Amino acid sequence: MIESAVQASHLSKSFGAKQVIDDLSFEVSPGDVIGVLGKNGAGKTTLLELMLGFTPPSGGGVQIFGHASVALPGDVKLRVGFVPQQDELLEQLSVADQLRVIASFYPRWDSGLIERLCREWGVDPKARIKNMSVGERQKLSILLAFGHKPDLLVLDEPVASLDPMARRQFLEQLVDASAGGDRAIIFSSHIVSDIERLANRIWILKGGRLDWQGDLDSLKEAIVRLHVRGDAAAISSLAVPGALSLRREGNFATAVVRDWTAERQRPLEGQGAVSVEVEALGLEEIFLELHR
Amino acid sequence: MFVLNPQSGVPIYRQILEQARRMVASGQLAPGVELPSVRELALKHAVNPMTISKAYSLLEAEGLLERNRGRPMTVASQARSASPLTKRIQQIQPLVEQTVLAAKQLELSETELVKSVRKNWENGND
Repeated sequence: MIESAVQASHLSKSFGAKQVIDDLSFEVSPGDVIGVLGKNGAGKTTLLELMLGFTPPSGGGVQIFGHASVALPGDVKLRVGFVPQQDELLEQLSVADQLRVIASFYPRWDSGLIERLCREWGVDPKARIKNMSVGERQKLSILLAFGHKPDLLVLDEPVASLDPMARRQFLEQLVDASAGGDRAIIFSSHIVSDIERLANRIWILKGGRLDWQGDLDSLKEAIVRLHVRGDAAAISSLAVPGALSLRREGNFATAVVRDWTAERQRPLEGQGAVSVEVEALGLEEIFLELHR
Repeated sequence: MFVLNPQSGVPIYRQILEQARRMVASGQLAPGVELPSVRELALKHAVNPMTISKAYSLLEAEGLLERNRGRPMTVASQARSASPLTKRIQQIQPLVEQTVLAAKQLELSETELVKSVRKNWENGND
């Protein structure tokens, strides 16, 4: 049996009266690349921190490689990498010193990889952290998490301050890291196109709940926009079960459904529609439709 | 070899399936031709390697590709270099349906549509 990287059951967190994470259960397996999407304040950061045991849950719990995340044994901690939204670099150090400090904790530290990435990403080992730009600091934080080759890598908005070129280099590194199929990667981002490239599974967090958790491919196949044409009478009485939205205009109707299958086409046509055209939606469109 | 658009509503693995089927059907991908490795393709397009191996596995199950121990996957020898005309027509059918539908919505006549197709066909031959 494959050991699951993360297993959460009935995970909840509230701050005072505000329920930020509401009864989430999920499992993350090695090989998964999970993209976490949600509006500002949807609870992404809280979820990631809760998952890693930085803050105790109000209900339920999380296990990382079989151990409660709030009390991870040292050897399990060494298998986890985290890139926080706000970096935790030591201002007074140089890049080389910061790398040395972190490397000293991790027996698996890959100095060859980090030297190469520093070169490719243009991170100067001699630079002082306090003089670095936000983007440069973000690159360094990412390097620190990649360096010890974690089995579980969690990144909270890792690319917010990176330019397109640096983002692409980061994505390539993530492809490389996931190619072996033996590690789990979870990353949150507002850059939907990055998630669309890299993630094979998607979590859409909405009001503290997972509005969608599953394959990116199934998501794209299930949530589609239908363009229906027919005579005005047929259109005005058109019923699209489970539609997220339905707009009628004379001879046309547009509907977005979240559980599309090819078998649903014929019954729609049976309602007097002349034609039903199915438009596949990109992830950004899907995200917007789910938040209308 | 493949033109992938991650932002499309069509999942990446389907884009690969459709393009590979078309290229094999037309003989552009002849039996024995080696495909890029999963890792190579994933890095080139910066997409998830699993989505590529999913496409490759499905193509293998269809008999279009062959897995070779320790070597890149190849176009299967049984995959005829060019499948029969009827089958190739079948493959382009969904695209034709879409185009015809769009033409009707635009209230174009058959002649006008055919004329436009012919013009595109000839431009493509340049």
